[in-house]
Amino acid sequence: MGMFEPNADWTQQARENIAAALAAAQSGLGNRIIVQEQPVGEDAQVLADYMSLFSSVADSVITYQFFRGNRLPTKVRENRTGGFDWTLGSGVSSLPGAADADYALFINTEDHFGSTGRKILQVIAAIGRVHVEAGLHAGRAGLVDLRTGALVWINADLRMGGDVRTPEGAQRRISQLLEDFPGRPVPAGASQ
Amino acid sequence: MKIPAWCTSAALVAAASSAAAQDFRVPPYQGIYQPQGVDERGLWMEADEAERGLRDSDLVIRDQALNAYLREVLCRTVGEDRCNGVRIYIIRMPAFNASMTANGTMRVFSGLLLRVRNEAELASALAHEFAHFERRHVLTGFQRRRSASDLLMWTAVLSAVAGQPNYAYLPLVGGVFEFSRDQEREADILGLAYLKRSRYRPQCAADVWKRLMDEADASALGRAQRSQRYDRVPFFASHPTQQERAGYLSSLAGAEVADRTVNADTFAVVMRPWIAQFLDDQIRLNDFGGTEYLLAQLAGGTWTAELLHARGELYRSRGNPRDLVHAADFYRQSVALDPSRAEAYRGLGLALMRARVLDEGRAALVRYLSMQPDARDAPMIRALIDQPL
Repeated sequence: MGMFEPNADWTQQARENIAAALAAAQSGLGNRIIVQEQPVGEDAQVLADYMSLFSSVADSVITYQFFRGNRLPTKVRENRTGGFDWTLGSGVSSLPGAADADYALFINTEDHFGSTGRKILQVIAAIGRVHVEAGLHAGRAGLVDLRTGALVWINADLRMGGDVRTPEGAQRRISQLLEDFPGRPVPAGASQ
Repeated sequence: MKIPAWCTSAALVAAASSAAAQDFRVPPYQGIYQPQGVDERGLWMEADEAERGLRDSDLVIRDQALNAYLREVLCRTVGEDRCNGVRIYIIRMPAFNASMTANGTMRVFSGLLLRVRNEAELASALAHEFAHFERRHVLTGFQRRRSASDLLMWTAVLSAVAGQPNYAYLPLVGGVFEFSRDQEREADILGLAYLKRSRYRPQCAADVWKRLMDEADASALGRAQRSQRYDRVPFFASHPTQQERAGYLSSLAGAEVADRTVNADTFAVVMRPWIAQFLDDQIRLNDFGGTEYLLAQLAGGTWTAELLHARGELYRSRGNPRDLVHAADFYRQSVALDPSRAEAYRGLGLALMRARVLDEGRAALVRYLSMQPDARDAPMIRALIDQPL
């Protein structure tokens, strides 16, 4: 209630539901999606590095791109021309499986649900006009050009809808995450 | 788990001094354990996830020989059956630390390996971490923190509603840290029980903490800070003070027993290939006093070419004019002992160039390049040599 508590069952359900929802959403994307095999050894290390890099870059995009007033001075030119210039670097071509694909879709979500106790606390707090957050529902999805590393498209919201513990909720989350997904991605470079 | 034998030793904490003669008993081994209940399964799931990350992390030292050695020491300390529940990951991190997660992931920092002097001291650290695992401290610690944070939320909201300060705040937070310190004591004592049952000398457990206090004092002195006090517990301390730990560990270790080993020689042989890298990481901490202390400890009166080189690097990195003089001297002593040490010529050259002793500096750098023409920094060094000064 006062802090995050892990719940293995919910996590497992959410994982399965999101995977199923993603598979179902494929057809709507206008692309063939190959699910990344779990690599081993050095490949796994490279993938892990890029997953962390994606999260950091996505967070930077959220902080420094989404809100006009908070943009970095170094991004001033792009801001004037309305451009979007974020990249993971051309090293992404070394990702395992990159040779067989044009783009990589990174998705990560994090959810914490308020317990009953927390909700009761919320009600009591609301009576006293004290704000208590119920949970955390954050999601990030990004499409990366595997030849240049450029971030072609990104969608991130730190307050998303959809209860990922249920199949319907997971579908809703995925459809929110993939909202405005570029149906037929433009060729590399043209997007910048 | 309620094990009578354990209750006796837990009670010993209060009367540590009288416990020296007491016989330690290790609780019977429970076999392969699977997490029970929502909390524990959740914690294991998180730990599994983190361990998957660790498997692919760049920070993990994967050298087979070193990993096998640590595993061997752990198994010898806690027993073959127990050690199978644990995976050890050596993390390249220059701090004295080790940790244990709920699912049996043991992280051992390289800084710990640099600071323990023999196998028995290493065994005492591994045994302590294993004790956290066997007593399922992550679970009970989590539950304790949760109940405190639940109460904290309620009292915070209710006192905000009532327009009063939250008087429960300090006792609730203090209770969590006190509980954590109790867990550490419990792990220290059970860890010592494993050690007493093994072939290692249990008195070694206290030695580590004594040296850590000295190192912390040296660090504080080097930073012109006041040294911390060891005779009282800070409010937010998660562990007992080193002095307290050294005290009860040495009294509980009891009298010396024959046929105990510390295996300092084997330990030194296994660590030899790693000392240079671990020292390099340590020097980058910018902790002059602490590193000086550590180097003197490692040397123990006989300075090897490697340690002299490291000392040169330490002084050169601080880089006051007086430090550069000493640094050059340490590098010279290092190459006198081992003329094949190319990096010492590099350090000597750079220290001298910075001290504007140009000719000798250039000569040392030329020597470095002639020994290692393909060094990564060769173009930069060459530019430095050719630069008109």
